[in-house]
Amino acid sequence: MSTQLERARAGEITPEMRRVAEKEGVEAEFVRRGVAEGSIVILRNRRREKVEPVGVGAGLEVKVSASVGLAGAEADRESELAKVRAALEAGTDTLMDLSITGDMDGMRRTILAETGVPVGTLPVYQALEEARARYGAAVKMQTEEMFAVIEKQAADGVDFLAVHAATTVQTIRAAKKHGRTDYLVSHGGGHLVGWMLYHGRENPLYEQFDRLLDICRRYDVTLSLADGWRPGCLDDSLDAAQVQELVVLGELVMRARGAGVQVMVKGPGHVPPGHIKATVRLEKELCQGAPYFVFGPLVTDAAPGCDQINAAIGGALSALAGADFLCYVTAAEHLGLPDVQQVREGVVAARIAAHAADLTRRPRARQWDLEMSRARKALDWEKQIALSIDPARAAALRRDRSRDSAEACAMCGKYCAMQVVGRYLGREQGTC
Amino acid sequence: MTQLLSARVGLLTPEMKQAAAAEGVDPEFIRAGIADGTIVLPKNRLRGNIRVCAIGRGLRTKVNALVGTSSDRDDPAMEARKIEAAVAAGADAIMDLSTGGDIDGMRRLSLEKAVVPVGSVPIYQAGIEAIERRGGIVQMEPEDMFAAIEKQAAAGVDFMAIHCALNFAVVERLQKTGRVTDIVSRGGAFLTGWMLHNRRENPLYEQFDRVLAILKEYDVTLSLGDAIRPGCTADSLDGAQVQGLLVAGELVARAREAGVQVMVEGPGHVPLHHVETTVLLQKRLCRGAPYFVLGTLATDVAPGYDHITAAVGGALAGAAGADFLCYVTPAEHLGLPTEEDVREGVYAARVAAHAADIAKEVPGALERDRRMARARAAGDRRAQAELALNPEKVRRFLNGVEDGGYCRLCGDDCALRLAAEYFQGGPVAE
Repeated sequence: MSTQLERARAGEITPEMRRVAEKEGVEAEFVRRGVAEGSIVILRNRRREKVEPVGVGAGLEVKVSASVGLAGAEADRESELAKVRAALEAGTDTLMDLSITGDMDGMRRTILAETGVPVGTLPVYQALEEARARYGAAVKMQTEEMFAVIEKQAADGVDFLAVHAATTVQTIRAAKKHGRTDYLVSHGGGHLVGWMLYHGRENPLYEQFDRLLDICRRYDVTLSLADGWRPGCLDDSLDAAQVQELVVLGELVMRARGAGVQVMVKGPGHVPPGHIKATVRLEKELCQGAPYFVFGPLVTDAAPGCDQINAAIGGALSALAGADFLCYVTAAEHLGLPDVQQVREGVVAARIAAHAADLTRRPRARQWDLEMSRARKALDWEKQIALSIDPARAAALRRDRSRDSAEACAMCGKYCAMQVVGRYLGREQGTC
Repeated sequence: MTQLLSARVGLLTPEMKQAAAAEGVDPEFIRAGIADGTIVLPKNRLRGNIRVCAIGRGLRTKVNALVGTSSDRDDPAMEARKIEAAVAAGADAIMDLSTGGDIDGMRRLSLEKAVVPVGSVPIYQAGIEAIERRGGIVQMEPEDMFAAIEKQAAAGVDFMAIHCALNFAVVERLQKTGRVTDIVSRGGAFLTGWMLHNRRENPLYEQFDRVLAILKEYDVTLSLGDAIRPGCTADSLDGAQVQGLLVAGELVARAREAGVQVMVEGPGHVPLHHVETTVLLQKRLCRGAPYFVLGTLATDVAPGYDHITAAVGGALAGAAGADFLCYVTPAEHLGLPTEEDVREGVYAARVAAHAADIAKEVPGALERDRRMARARAAGDRRAQAELALNPEKVRRFLNGVEDGGYCRLCGDDCALRLAAEYFQGGPVAE
């Protein structure tokens, strides 16, 4: 069986392309061409049955991903599943299961079985944890074990795999030579670098990249090339290590495409506002238009506790500059693990960022704002709530913050601007 | 003498020195900025000792919080608590927008509680008193408007939003252009209603010199109210808004000439690709006057999360040159904010302002992030909390969490520790 990429190249419009086109309001041929060129990926493992395929890339709506997973001493499946449900309710387009402990197979299989959105994983996490259990130290992980986990997760139906294949010896040298403020903040990247130093060997995911591609091609898993050197603070943004890795990422994008494997690239992280356009531009050039999946980015290091807002700012600016896919950041980032409420808010914050960019260029996105504005003008509260990005929260706040107001809202009370002026401008005026 | 007139004759006032010290810049920089109108220093001549702040070019982006009673909720004690919460969260200024109950009493309370500059919108009080005494806003007399301005200036208000930049040219442009949400500024709506009903020009525009004379006497900073600010992204940068900005530009020049400090209020709902143009246009037409924006909100569809839509827009506006961000709370478009909403709103605006300062390369802004990055690399949680824009939230999270180090699950063979040790000692050229 061929991948979406191979079929697009052969001129075939697959049911997945058709479905994506339908949801996005674009021509199926547009999606096919994007997939063929590599500027669009369609997230869907061939083995995954009841999944709604999601297109990510140029000319499509900006997508949002939420991360969950077993971590820490008190990790349990039920509480993670509650987060999964919250993320889905809040409108996430995809999920990532980043479990690093406990019954990782069970967690992943449950999420794959119980959700209808594309699911991504970071397979090295599981390989590291299993090596720790087996040998007493994660760093003793064997290459074969790593590939076995990748194969297993792909066979389970995971739709996209995050793999730090470009975190090579060359990138370690760049970091060592040029220095950094906060060397490694990527958990997977940090462990791989430690592994490489311990064994004195090149990154096996780079060395045996063809083997990785072979697995991805068989299941049509989209490769999400992760950035082990993503900057962990503004000071490290666009430094030698990051840029060196981006150059290697570009090389791997070409090889993936050559093998008929769909590929996107992951990005930072912590990026000062003035670096955002350049960061996106560099990725688009070096990685030949591959979809860019950014983590935030955060525009300041100084906002722990408010990082969902920080990420919304960076995410909006990145999406405006051409990033295609936003990984959410929650208010618990840098501090601990998010609770259900923080997951929900994280998803909505990322969706606000995505939509803020979409509405600058997509007529359909603009239509949503227009309908909301008309509902406001008409003081049609039912419609305003229904059109809200999170209707449940809007309804709750309206109830609670306008408790005493029969009409309009408590903000202006009797002196509603819409009402005062509507009369004199001879406009039609709704009532509450 | 106003700060502006002092600055022009080369005088360094105590307020300029105080603002310069808070900002970490040379007092002469503040003086020169005030003299050329790119910086304002809102402080009423009659106001006692407050934490003054200078607003404008080359300075840290400032944050304003809104409080005030309404016809539906008249609880001065609660508003006083909001002022305390806003200032504790780091608001640089507050505005008392009361429209309910004892407006004078509430203002006295605001001026007493707030240790920062206090702003107001006198047309609210004039309009509401006209309803009570004369039966309607349209029955308001021009004298009522000037009396309200005079009374509030004499009470010690430091800056006033006055909708002088609204005239028939603007209203006619609005009628011609057509809009989705017409007018969403309450003061703008009061005045437009008044103008159309009475078929008379806006007295605050027509008798602008009289406004200036009052403000000059008390050194109240004029904040030219944005009567015509777009209420949705679809109305952004339309004929009416730009017409209003042209009038504002004309009035900025007249205010400066009269020795009155002046800034300009801005939107509102602005799609992200309009933000840079909006700020550039204001700076150009209003001759570099400080720009005080509400948000800006990057989308219309997120009620309940408008502190976030405002942080997105505010960061971009600030980076493009806006100087003063008016916060937006999660209650925006839905009702009146609670104390918690006020706190959330201030912190969100401060994240935006700080991001803007990094983009604008305001001296010292990036240094805070550098120190945070080092504290993180060192696993120093106490330093992280101290450096955070919202230390209280960080402490709540970190309560009981041990300092730094690795998880110990892998014993001595920790890959992360191995990697860290390799890089310890910093760069090594080969």
